[in-house]
Amino acid sequence: MSKISVKGLRKSFGSNEVLKGLDVEITEGEVVCVIGPSGSGKSTFLRCLNKLDELSAGTVIVDGFNLSDKTVDLNEVRQHIGMVFQHFNLFPHMTVLQNIMLAPTELKRESKADARATALKLLDRVGLADKATARPAQLSGGQKQRVAIARSLAVNPDIMLFDEATSALDPEMVGEVLQVIRDLAAEGMTMVVVTHEMGFAREVADRVIFMADGVIVEEGTPAQLFGNPQQERTQDFLSKVL
Amino acid sequence: MFRAGKLSVAVMALLALGGGFLGVSAAAASQPLAQPQAAVTGETYVIGTDTTFAPFEYRKDGELTGIDMDLIRGIAKSQGFTVEIKSLGFDAALQALQSNQVDGVIAGMSITDERELIFDFSDPYFDSGVQMAVAEDNTEITGYSDLAGETVVAKRGSEGETFANSIKDEYDFTVKALADSATMYDDVKAGNSVAVFDDYPVLAYGINQNNGLKSVTEKEQGSSYGFAVNKGQNPELLAAFNTGLADLKDNGEYQAILDTYLEQPAPAAASGFFGLLSDSMPALMKGLGLTLLATGLSILIALVLGVLFGFFTVSESRVLRGIASVYVSIFRGTPLLVQAFFFYFGLPQLTGQSIDVLTAGVLTLSLNAGAYMTEIVRGGIQSVDPGQTEAGRSLGLGYVTTMRRVVLPQAVKIMTPSFINQFVMTLKDTSLLAVIGFAELTYQGQQIYAANFRTGETLLIVAALYFIVINLLTMLSNKLDKRFNK
Repeated sequence: MSKISVKGLRKSFGSNEVLKGLDVEITEGEVVCVIGPSGSGKSTFLRCLNKLDELSAGTVIVDGFNLSDKTVDLNEVRQHIGMVFQHFNLFPHMTVLQNIMLAPTELKRESKADARATALKLLDRVGLADKATARPAQLSGGQKQRVAIARSLAVNPDIMLFDEATSALDPEMVGEVLQVIRDLAAEGMTMVVVTHEMGFAREVADRVIFMADGVIVEEGTPAQLFGNPQQERTQDFLSKVL
Repeated sequence: MFRAGKLSVAVMALLALGGGFLGVSAAAASQPLAQPQAAVTGETYVIGTDTTFAPFEYRKDGELTGIDMDLIRGIAKSQGFTVEIKSLGFDAALQALQSNQVDGVIAGMSITDERELIFDFSDPYFDSGVQMAVAEDNTEITGYSDLAGETVVAKRGSEGETFANSIKDEYDFTVKALADSATMYDDVKAGNSVAVFDDYPVLAYGINQNNGLKSVTEKEQGSSYGFAVNKGQNPELLAAFNTGLADLKDNGEYQAILDTYLEQPAPAAASGFFGLLSDSMPALMKGLGLTLLATGLSILIALVLGVLFGFFTVSESRVLRGIASVYVSIFRGTPLLVQAFFFYFGLPQLTGQSIDVLTAGVLTLSLNAGAYMTEIVRGGIQSVDPGQTEAGRSLGLGYVTTMRRVVLPQAVKIMTPSFINQFVMTLKDTSLLAVIGFAELTYQGQQIYAANFRTGETLLIVAALYFIVINLLTMLSNKLDKRFNK
């Protein structure tokens, strides 16, 4: 059964159509990497999956919730979908621990003590147990992104969305973040990863989607897409980045 | 006095017009006069007066005193009614009478045809006139003929100005107009003008208070002063005033009052700066207290308004954004002074509900500061990275929770310096409420120098008080800011 089902998705900003009709099915536990040149609509596609951007047309069904339905409780849906941003978006006025505990306590999912225990466990998992009381400003980029991942995991999502999670990082910090994502994949998390890290996509993805100009040009296993791209547009892109 | 400043004429005309539309001032003008004694006995009347027009009204040791005050109190006593005196300022007192905020006005007011159109006047109680004075050490100017080529000063819209203008061509001098006696006298002492034309009782009193001038001409016969009620209103009060005035004239009390202030005024001993400081401190402290009260109340209400409308400005609802934008443009787009006049004089005419001066003042300041606060709040919220909201919302937090826990704590930190700034602005803006007779610090200062003519020193003390208080509060605010917004 599909965990994410996208049909005929279109998205326009004013007169500029960014997504021109996407159809994607993603099954439970699948890791899908989305690659493509900048401006191709990758990030917008991702933001439509938790409705940070409104849909212009088409249907998106995530975890059984139909996002095109105006009456659907978005706050409820979003608790099933974690999202990690390019610029981390940690809350600068809170400690690392408070960042992670905010959603579980505000949503009344856990008592303060339980949320704290969970947060510490998550920090341990991303290798930052010693940074619980630090402020985001005291962390390196890679550490910030690992905290952001822990924060998303705190509401126990079924699906994780990564929006160029390593693009704003110094090269030496990319590895530590990718390792966390790799671990999540190994645990069977359903993930959509927008990335420029071709090596990572090749290694971790079950399926790779190549987008350009608001459409899906080609998709397939990493071996197919990277090893034997069928479309000229894909070949052209890969020849530039590989 | 014949003050009919452009402001008062314009405001009165406007208010009369507005009142006319709503039928407020169209009260029965031809009500038969009731029996004065019976009608006023036991009643309390609110009487408006000028802030300081020595020797007719001024403050001595914080108490209102003067010819007008002694007269109205004497008449009230003889006719068995009580008066509550409101020291509003001349223009403000007339506007208050127009809007029925006060029952009568006694403020050394000349009876003129123009004023008789909108007020009913009593029998004249004083015959005034214009006199010329020069600096004490001036031996060159002894008459109008010595004024050739010189500049003289007179009060704007006063009889003195009219008189000076009527002879300026004959004697070849220039007339400059200023707003009040104390500044005119300072102008002469400073040598900017060689002589002043002012109402003779005022001048006589000032000279006896060591204002540094001397009179050099005889009094020119001028107009008469009268007590006024709003057209057609309180006829029994007017009748009682006339009866009481006749009584006081008969029993000699009237002459005794005039003599007290004009014939043998006790020359005031000129105290030094520290004498002035200690004499004026009680009144100034009272004023400062009211300044802080009005500031505190206004800032609190403005904060609530600012947060409310600030949220409107960032809301998704076009209607709420529209409401906030209209509110902000109205209160930022009109002068604070006009707003103060509107709330104190205009609103009572429109609603028929009188409003006390503190309420009107706080209403003005809080609505005005609220508009600026709205912009501060909007700016603060919008300066928080949108990614913060996205992160909050993507975790499943609602709009309100995201605002409360994520956006606002960051916005408040950004807004705090602007809040402190607005707080200081509002504190200073309270001084504008002096024009509607709110007895705050500036008003108290005006009262003091209008009575003792020591303008420079008094204003220095007033300014120093503002400076000290504002800087203390700013330091305190910054300390709190540092402590809570680390």
